[in-house]
Formats: sequence, structure tokens, C-alpha cells
Amino acid sequence: MNAKTHYLRDIFYSTVACGLTALLAMPLIGRMNLVNIVMLFLLVVVLLTVKMGRTAGVTAAFVSVALFDVLFVEPRFSFSVTDAQYILTFIVMLIVALVISYLTSHLREQMLEAELKAQQSQALYELAQALASSVTLTQATSAISQFMHQSLRLEAVLVLPDTTENLHQHGEHRLTEVEMLMAHAAYDSGNIMQTGYQNDGEHSSTYLPLHGSTRKRGVLAARSNIESTGELLHDRAMLEAVASITAASIERLHFVEVAHDAEWRVASERLRSSILSALSHDIRTPLTAAYGMADSLHLIEPPLPQAAQDTATALCTQILQLNQMVSNLLDLAKLQAGGMTLRREWQPVEEVIGTSLQLLQSILSKHHVTIKLAPDLPLLNFDAVLIERVLCNLLENAIKYGNGNIEINADIKGDFAHLSIQNSGKPIPADKLEQIFTLFERGSESHTAHGTGIGLSICRSIINAHGGQIWAENLNDGVNIIFTLPLGTPPIVNL
Amino acid sequence: MTTPNTILVVEDQHDILKFISDALRKENIRVLTASNIRDALNESTTGQPDMAILDLGLPDGDGLTLIQNLRTWSQLPILVLSARSDELDKINALDAGADDYLTKPFAIGELLARVRALLRRRATSQSNTSPLIVFGDISVNRAQREVMRGTEALHLTAIEYQLLCIFLVNVGKVLTHRYLLNEIWGGTFTENAHYLRIYVGHLRKKLELDPTQPKHILTETGVGYRFVLGD
Repeated sequence: MNAKTHYLRDIFYSTVACGLTALLAMPLIGRMNLVNIVMLFLLVVVLLTVKMGRTAGVTAAFVSVALFDVLFVEPRFSFSVTDAQYILTFIVMLIVALVISYLTSHLREQMLEAELKAQQSQALYELAQALASSVTLTQATSAISQFMHQSLRLEAVLVLPDTTENLHQHGEHRLTEVEMLMAHAAYDSGNIMQTGYQNDGEHSSTYLPLHGSTRKRGVLAARSNIESTGELLHDRAMLEAVASITAASIERLHFVEVAHDAEWRVASERLRSSILSALSHDIRTPLTAAYGMADSLHLIEPPLPQAAQDTATALCTQILQLNQMVSNLLDLAKLQAGGMTLRREWQPVEEVIGTSLQLLQSILSKHHVTIKLAPDLPLLNFDAVLIERVLCNLLENAIKYGNGNIEINADIKGDFAHLSIQNSGKPIPADKLEQIFTLFERGSESHTAHGTGIGLSICRSIINAHGGQIWAENLNDGVNIIFTLPLGTPPIVNL
Repeated sequence: MTTPNTILVVEDQHDILKFISDALRKENIRVLTASNIRDALNESTTGQPDMAILDLGLPDGDGLTLIQNLRTWSQLPILVLSARSDELDKINALDAGADDYLTKPFAIGELLARVRALLRRRATSQSNTSPLIVFGDISVNRAQREVMRGTEALHLTAIEYQLLCIFLVNVGKVLTHRYLLNEIWGGTFTENAHYLRIYVGHLRKKLELDPTQPKHILTETGVGYRFVLGD
């Protein structure tokens, strides 16, 4: 029923009510003072206003005065008046009736508004409760949709950004393209946007950006089917309250997800870490036993024939290689998981070069090694065990792929120390210079040297973790592998 | 070694225990075995070993408590066996009182060399009171505070000399960075860690034939230093 029909209906009913009152009062003429008839009519005006509103009340005011004049004041059944003082009665009656009518209708409106507000507050409270207990976005979206539909008679669509800041719709309704553009505009500007029902002829919409405590969380699009935008504007405070609760809820769900992610990551890190240590121990134990037992073959009394002794030696070599491979794999796993903390200390690089040469002295015996260190090399900040591993890997490569001469260089270029291991021999094919640092890639396919392509990959992981770089260069008669370590700021030494 | 030495081997893996025990017995050493900490403590009190070899990966707890316990009543040399990936467990063992370590897997020859060195140290420390020590072409007279290369006197700064003396008192033993820093500077680790490296470098320059390939002041990467008299 639209406003006009309401209007006519109110006039009709109030006229009828006044008429009925007049009919009921007519038998009282002569027995009751006319003043009391006036009171009756005023009572009817109040009742009509309370029940039906201002229109009815005002109508009743005029109709009551007219009926009073025609039916009760002499001469009856005519609008004229014999006693002129009744004109004052009519005027005052009308004024009083109108004032009562306005006041009562005002009171009534306030009461209705208060009731509506109470209802909406209750609904808002229930929404907040529903959102507080929701654990998924779907639950939250449906709680919001339900509320908007029941309390505000609006269709709600949540527009939320994903990890790449693209907006997506959530909810059972769908926005048109134009509406999505409006939602985008609201999100980007951070302001509430409203459109009348011109945009697609049937709907009027409000777009409320959701402001979280740290950043924008999305947009709440509220769409209505009623023609009057007045209704929506009246609810704007309500909509803003809903938007605020929604933003808080979306933010909470986001942080719940972040917390879950972090928990999962920590748990999986712990698992990986304990697997790696268990593996390390479990693999090294049989390796140790096998190596020890193979070695003990050399000591058997009476001594085994030479062939058996040679086999025992070969067995030892193979086991050591296996051990090296296992160490490399485990370290690679740790480094790639980002779980390996470097134990960096300021120290001279000569020391770690010395220990690497010492470790490999048995296989280096047939090679000629030159060391050229710049005289002004400062202390460098690095993890000795890891850089020793890098140097050993590079030296082993130099031995494997070189033909005798090895040179170790260290000097300063800019903000980095450059260390290089150079070997004479066959160059690496130009297109493989970068590839050799990837996992399981060997320098020359035709080479029959043993070993997986892990060594250089580990070197790269270790050097990168130190903030440096590693690469290979071909020389006229060999290969040079260079790695850098940042100089940083060495501590001051007071001697 | 006329009276046979006794060594307590604490190892839970049967095969490893076997080849270690066999190798030691061939060297005329009496072997006591234990496969967990509790038995090790029992054997150490009843068997009175001259030395202990302890695997750090025991199932009923790390070897640290065993080392700490032993050190409260005995100075017997302790050699620990450790898997490589962790320098930290070696450092902790050394700081708790272990003398040396071997990384698994290890050759029997290496094991026997360490064992001999530790047994020799124990024997000499019980009888040694001489202030004179010789290594390589260097001779040190601690009573006179003299360090000579042949007939040439070498000049060492106070700290360098102090460092050298610590090494000479602990021949063959692995000294952690923390231990050395504490002995010389007695203070916090992080402030002075690099000083230790620098002084060791200076000492090597003065005493070693080739400072980049030292024969006496050896680096134990990630752990500390070890001083050996050499051949």
C-alpha cells in the first residue's frame, strides 16, 4: 500500500470514527452539558492520532468541529450559529485538537522509532554474536546476509580483496558490473558511496568500505528493492554500524588464518628439523659401523692377502664418499628450508683456507697449490664450518676437473672480498657456466668422474645465505670459480 | 706402556662397539664396555679406567651429564664421538670437561692416534714438572720466560705468551674458543672473539714455519684450537 492510499484510508476511517462518535453522543443531548461532548470528540482525536497517525488526527480535528457545529450546536443541522460564543468554542476546540493531534503523533512517531531502534539494536547485537562465533568466511557472509535481509530488507554482498589485491564477491547475491565498479571506487577511495535507483532502474545501493585496524578489508555492498532512497538514508547510521562490525569480523578471520598458517609452519618446521636430526644420526650410525669394520680388515692378524686389503681400502673410500653425499644432502635440505642459522664470527680467511687444505691433503698431494692472499685482507664475518665446506667442495672440483695446478686467490673489490679457486684444465661450456650451480647438474656430460651435482649447489646456498655471490668463469687454460663475501664493518682492534 | 691401560668405551651400537674394542685390544689395552649412561657410571667407579671413549648420541640422554659427573671426581681423559652436523654438541662436551673429539665416521688409525696421545698426556702430566718444552724448532723455558728458535730469542707480547702457556699446559687437548677467551680475557664472549683469532694468527706467524699451514697450533673448525708437539 503506498503513501497515497494510506492517506486516503486514514481520512476515511477518522471521518467514520467521528461520525460514529457523533451518533453515539446524540442521545445525550439535553442530558449532558455540550462541554462534555467536546471532550468526547477530543478524546476521539487523541485515540485516532495514537492509533493511526497525524493525518487521521488532523482530519478528526476538523471533522469533529464540523460535526459538533452541525449536530450539537443550535441551530442544529446547520453550520450557522445562534450563540456567537460557540464560535470561540469552535476555534479553541480546533486549536486544541490540532495541538493534541500533533503532539500525540510526534510522541507516536518517537515511540515507533524507539521500538524500531530497539529492534535493530537487538538484531545488531545478534549479528555481532553470530559474527564473533563464526570461524569461516562463509559463516560470516551468511550471518551478514541474513541480518541485512531481515532487519533492513537489503541484499548484501561482501566484496573482499585476495592476496593480490583483486576484489571478489562473496554471498548469495551477485553484483552487476556497474555495481562492481562502484564497489571498487568505494574501496579505493575509502568513502561511502550511494547511488539512487538510476543505475539499473530497479535497485538503489550503498557501498560501505570496511576499515580494519591496520588496512582496508573490503567493501559491503547493500542493495534495496524499494523505490525510496529515503528509507536507506534513514538507516545510514545503522549501515555504518554494520560495516564496522563486519570489518572487525573480517579482520579477525584474517588474523585467525594468519595464526593458523604460522602454527602450521612452526609445526612443520619442527617436524622437518627433528626428521633431519634423526636422519643425520640414523644414517651416520651404519656408515660409522661400516667404515670402522672395513678399516678393521686392514688390521686382521694374520694379514689378509693384498687383494683383500685393497678391497678394504676401496670400501673405505666409497663409504666416505657416501658420507660426504649424505652430509651435503642434509645440509642442502636445512639451507633450503631456511632453517640453518649461520654461526658467523669475525675471523681471518687464512685460517679456513688452511683447514680446507689440511682436510684434503691426501688427495691434494699430487697437485700443486699456490695461495695468493692480498696483504690487507680484513677480518671477515662468516660461518667457518660452512665456508670450509664451500672451499672443500671447490677444491674437490678443481681436483676432479683440473689437471694439476690449483691457485687460491683472495682480494678486495669494492664492498666485497673476492675469493677464487682456479684450476688449469678443460674449460666449462659457456652455456653451462650458470647451470652447474643448479642441483644435479654436472659440468661435462662426457666426464666419468663420480659424484652427484650437489656440491656447487650447496656452495651457492651457503654463499647466498652469507649475502655474497658465486659464479664461474672460463680462463685461457682453465676454470676459475669466484665467490664473494660482504666486507661489512669489522670490529675495531686495539692492540 | 708396560702395565696395560684400561679404557671404558660407552657406545650403544653393537657393531661400532665391536670394532672399537677389537682395535683397542690389539693395542694391548683392556676394554670395559657400557651401552648407557647408568652402566657407564658403574663401570667407571668399579673398573677404574685410565680413559673413556664416549658416544654423544646415546639413547638414554646426552653424554654431558656423564662427563660432568666424571669430572667431579676424576681427571681421566675423555674422548667423545659425535656425528658431524653439530658443532654445538662437541663444544658443549669440551666445555663440560671432555678432552678431544672424533667425528663419525672415523678411521681406526685416527682413533688409535688420539687414544695414544691422550694416554701419553695422562702419563706425562702425572710425572711432568719440567718447565722446558720443545716443539718443531722452538724451545720454551717457562721458568725463564724464554722462547727461542735455535739460538735466536723470539719476542712475544704478554698476551701471546699467556696464550702459548695455555697451549703448552694442554698439549693435545682441544680448547674451545670460549675456554681460551675466558682464560685470557675472562669476559664476555661476543666482544672479544675476534681478538683470539688475531692473537693466534700472530703466534703462528712467530712460531710456525708456514703460518698458513700450521703444524703445532691447529684449528678445529667451529670449535677452537689444539696444540700438538708434532713429530
